Amino acid sequence: MSGTAPRDRRRGLLGVALTLPGAVWLAVFFLVPLYVVVSISTGTVDPVFRSVVPAWNPRDWSGDQFGYVLSRLTGPDGFFGPVMVRTVVYVLLAVAGCLAVAYPVAWFVARHSGRRRGLVLALIVAPFWISYMMRMLAWVNLLADDGLVNRLLGGAGLVADPVTFLSGRPTTVVLGLVYGYVPYMILPMYAALDRISPALLEAARDLGAGRFETFRRVVLPMSVPGVLAGLVLVALPMTGDYFTNDLLSASPSTAMLGNLINTSVANPSQAGQAGALVLVLVLAMAVPMLLYVRSSVRSDLAS
Amino acid sequence: MPADRRPEPNPFVRRGPSRRGVLGLAALTGAGLLAGCARERPTSGLTAGSGGSGSPTLTAASPASPVRWPVLEGNAPIGAGLAPEKDATLQLYNYVDYINPDVIKSFEKKYKDTGVKVVVSTFNDTNESLAKIRAGGSPYDIYFPSYDQIGKLATAGLVRPLQHSYIPNITNVWPQFTDPWYDQGWQYTVPYVTYTTGIGWRSDRVNEDIGARANPYDVFWDPQYAGRLAVLDDYREVISMAILRAGGTDINTGDDAVLAKVREDLAAMAKATRPQVTITDYIAIPEGKLDISQAWSGDMIAAQGYLPKGTDASVLRYWFPADGKGMVNNDLMMILSGGKNPVLAHLFLDHLLDDEVAKENFTFVGYQPPLNSLDPSRLVADGYAPQGLAAATVLPSYFESGYRSLELTPAAEGKWQDTWTRFKAGA
Repeated sequence: MSGTAPRDRRRGLLGVALTLPGAVWLAVFFLVPLYVVVSISTGTVDPVFRSVVPAWNPRDWSGDQFGYVLSRLTGPDGFFGPVMVRTVVYVLLAVAGCLAVAYPVAWFVARHSGRRRGLVLALIVAPFWISYMMRMLAWVNLLADDGLVNRLLGGAGLVADPVTFLSGRPTTVVLGLVYGYVPYMILPMYAALDRISPALLEAARDLGAGRFETFRRVVLPMSVPGVLAGLVLVALPMTGDYFTNDLLSASPSTAMLGNLINTSVANPSQAGQAGALVLVLVLAMAVPMLLYVRSSVRSDLAS
Repeated sequence: MPADRRPEPNPFVRRGPSRRGVLGLAALTGAGLLAGCARERPTSGLTAGSGGSGSPTLTAASPASPVRWPVLEGNAPIGAGLAPEKDATLQLYNYVDYINPDVIKSFEKKYKDTGVKVVVSTFNDTNESLAKIRAGGSPYDIYFPSYDQIGKLATAGLVRPLQHSYIPNITNVWPQFTDPWYDQGWQYTVPYVTYTTGIGWRSDRVNEDIGARANPYDVFWDPQYAGRLAVLDDYREVISMAILRAGGTDINTGDDAVLAKVREDLAAMAKATRPQVTITDYIAIPEGKLDISQAWSGDMIAAQGYLPKGTDASVLRYWFPADGKGMVNNDLMMILSGGKNPVLAHLFLDHLLDDEVAKENFTFVGYQPPLNSLDPSRLVADGYAPQGLAAATVLPSYFESGYRSLELTPAAEGKWQDTWTRFKAGA
């Protein structure tokens, strides 16, 4: 017993040493910026420059901006409300779209890509080599009235007039989100599906389960952690996304929460309001994040 | 004050496409919040506390009440007749592509014996630029503001009073800008370019003469153009347009009834035509990606450079009220106190006010300098613009008849921002 204590202590120290870089990283690049956002959102406005004066001292914090944001969420002046609803609807649709695309792809890569798995994975990751903005700009050109898509549709006689994809259409925005984020969904799902031992599937078949039953009772439950990780990975950044919308629509009729924040940031005196909106968004997203963390901890404990 | 008072003006003719659009977007990613964190110089000379009651507010200049801005102690103009700085790097702080590189080269050549080198730093909106100037640290010599920023910069002592003996060319500008109301005594600024706000379109894509409508602004509410038009991403411009359309003339109002009507009208517009809100019209109109847009005159002149091969500039159209009762504006040049080369900075201002230099600059940026020698009635004849863009010419008389965006009172400012956010939220 006396022999194990120093070893435990040493292991404890090692643990601290290994945690330290991550902790410092989080403190510098997460907590400090977050504090800056809080200070800005609770700050005041410079009377001459009308720019925000951050309130660094918590005793100076003012809740005016939060009051403003909350008053705009509901009630007669509640013009933020529809944006919130729109954001949630778009994100849900886009996440569903991602799921529909990503699951079969991940399954194919994990089970059926054989020797070409490396190549297929590389192809899935390939879009990351080009910046998100560039890919969206490419879509703008493809979907333009005289773009390739319209020329193909017109050439095939499917439409008489060009489809105005880029004229503030919710479908374009949602599909843009699906396109932009689907790789983030495929990768964790692939990792989860790849981990399922083929022996388990064979066992299910041996025990009389059909293809569908095998999927429903074996594959699906075992892929849940991957699906959840994928959902969180795409849903959170989508909720704050603004330039998919800016590029593919630029119309207020499809504005999302990210666009609202962006509008506020661009106006000198409204950085505080933007900060308050950011914090509301952070809080709102912390809920699914915590649920995810809890469920993954549980599944770790279970296994 | 308006964040995007102006797009970063642009390549005029024969330039690569879309550069500004891309740059603009890249800069969207959080410049604002970062600017908010910059260590900003408090507004010195004032009791600018933490916004408590009794804090000073700025006088708002207007043609009816001209303002002579204070000159803070220790911020005197430089002496006359000083020799230009040797081997200096003159730093310009400007919108992207808002100055012709050739006029910079000609300046360097003109003062070759001083060894001067000119570098241009750029900003995307005045929010960003003001924050950076206040933070200090970057010794910019010359800044290109709109006139609603003078008061802020002068009050904070960030701008240097001019020594006019270095700027004889200042007499080349229109009398409307001589000793202007926004800067009595020409203490801080010289004029740079002028522009109007109207409507731009391509005649081969729109089967009507928008300017012939009883109220051309109605086009933004016309459902037949749904999904094909845009308004400027600038709260002053769009709200002012709605006010003018409804028959108003005060585009600096804080009147609740007027702004309530604006909110209603903008909501109706969003519903009827789902307009894009963007400042890329100068590319999108010539390229045919947008059919109609609210537009700055200079951007439509610059649009000539973005037409696809085989499309003639004669298809471009711009409308501005023929009686001059529309929105007019001008941009300025000033010398910042933080700059290290005040003498060269004065000489550069004089250089840009030279007739030939200013015209050369015009052919690049598309925005018209207010020069006596540049006869507005001859811009089309002289090939600066095709006939269809004749209305994009800025006439001196517009600065008597037109409406100008002045600095809003804080109360009105809040209402305008609220109106704008509501519109942008699509609610």
